[in-house]
Amino acid sequence: MNTPQQLAEVLTSLRVGNQSFLMKFYEENRDLFARWVRRQHTLELAQAHELLRAVLVDFYDQVSDGRLTKLPPDLRAFVYGMADERLRAGQAAMVLPVAEAGRRQHLLGLFRQLSADCQKVLVYFYFRGYNFEKVAGKMGFANANVARMQKAGCVRSLYELRRRAEAAG
Amino acid sequence: MMPPAPDLHPYLEELERFSDGQMTVAEQEDFERRLEQDAALNHAYQTYQQLTADLRWVAGHETLRMRLEAIDRRLDQRHRALQRMEQQERRKQVRWGLVATIAAGVLVVVWLVLRPSSSQATDWTNYYVPDAGLPQTALGSNRPLLVEAMQYYREGHYPQALNSLQRVPNSALGQDTLLYYSGIFLLSQQDAERHEEAQALLRRVAQQPNSGLAAKARYHLGMAYWRTQQPELARTTLETVAAEATNPYQQAARRILQTDALTN
Repeated sequence: MNTPQQLAEVLTSLRVGNQSFLMKFYEENRDLFARWVRRQHTLELAQAHELLRAVLVDFYDQVSDGRLTKLPPDLRAFVYGMADERLRAGQAAMVLPVAEAGRRQHLLGLFRQLSADCQKVLVYFYFRGYNFEKVAGKMGFANANVARMQKAGCVRSLYELRRRAEAAG
Repeated sequence: MMPPAPDLHPYLEELERFSDGQMTVAEQEDFERRLEQDAALNHAYQTYQQLTADLRWVAGHETLRMRLEAIDRRLDQRHRALQRMEQQERRKQVRWGLVATIAAGVLVVVWLVLRPSSSQATDWTNYYVPDAGLPQTALGSNRPLLVEAMQYYREGHYPQALNSLQRVPNSALGQDTLLYYSGIFLLSQQDAERHEEAQALLRRVAQQPNSGLAAKARYHLGMAYWRTQQPELARTTLETVAAEATNPYQQAARRILQTDALTN
């Protein structure tokens, strides 16, 4: 059982982008969760796994954007409750202000339209916090300057997609 | 009310250089001064900050999603590998089961093939009426070796019984009695060679018309023929016994002849 201090550390760790806690949770609870959800609802195994992944990503979003400020003492029960709620509601509960949630979800959709390389560059720079030299090493670019130009190009592409979507909408 | 989002195109390069720490100290100070004085630049800066904050959220979200999917694929692969191993194990067990079954079948066949001889031995044992040995009262106290031989015989120690019998002085025992019991002791053993020897001794007694043991010897001789797998001789000899009203083994001989035990 995790102590309150350990739980607080987990929350801090998640906020700075360390996702290992949730990955371990998924690895350890995937089969157990699938059995539980199949008993409660008529879901295929792959669907049950997908549901748990979606709930954990949602949980992570809640922590990272500040909606969740205290880690529940029984995380498993909390996650199962989220899954149950999601199944009953048919979608994720949106507690964020609609405008903010909508803006981020919209950007997420646009991000997925970028090339795989662009997605990697932006993840390395904005999420992993790699400097341009390391991004260049990871992506096989000639040097840090090339990495900086590539990153700038990807941000522009994303911004262009957003501008076009806004103009169309 | 928030003003509409400005077009970032004119500012993007500068905003990125500032945000990514690519400016010199002088450029940075100049940019910060302009941020305070130029409302349009400030607005563009705020918009850009929001875009990168959202991008950070999106990047984290996508990273976790892809990491969980990667774990999922790994766990599925492991699950499939375990299933394959279990199937291979099951197939191996089935193969070994099949081999064991075939081996058991072969053993059963071998047993069935060898069964007639063992069956014959079993039949012989079932039908054979052993001699009771000389009674204690007939032995007296002056023939200790004969007493010892009979004791060994009753206890099932046939070689020892024969050894003791052969050491009994000729004066203490009739020749026919010695031959008869030697034959009996030899026939009682499990060795086939002893059975052949028993036949020879019992035949000699059976052919002595004046011996009181001749009739009994004929029965044991018939049984010795049977035991050495000479059914025709065994049948002829036992038919003689069955015809002798005074032979103590008449009923035993008849019982054998009434069955098809000798034909197996």
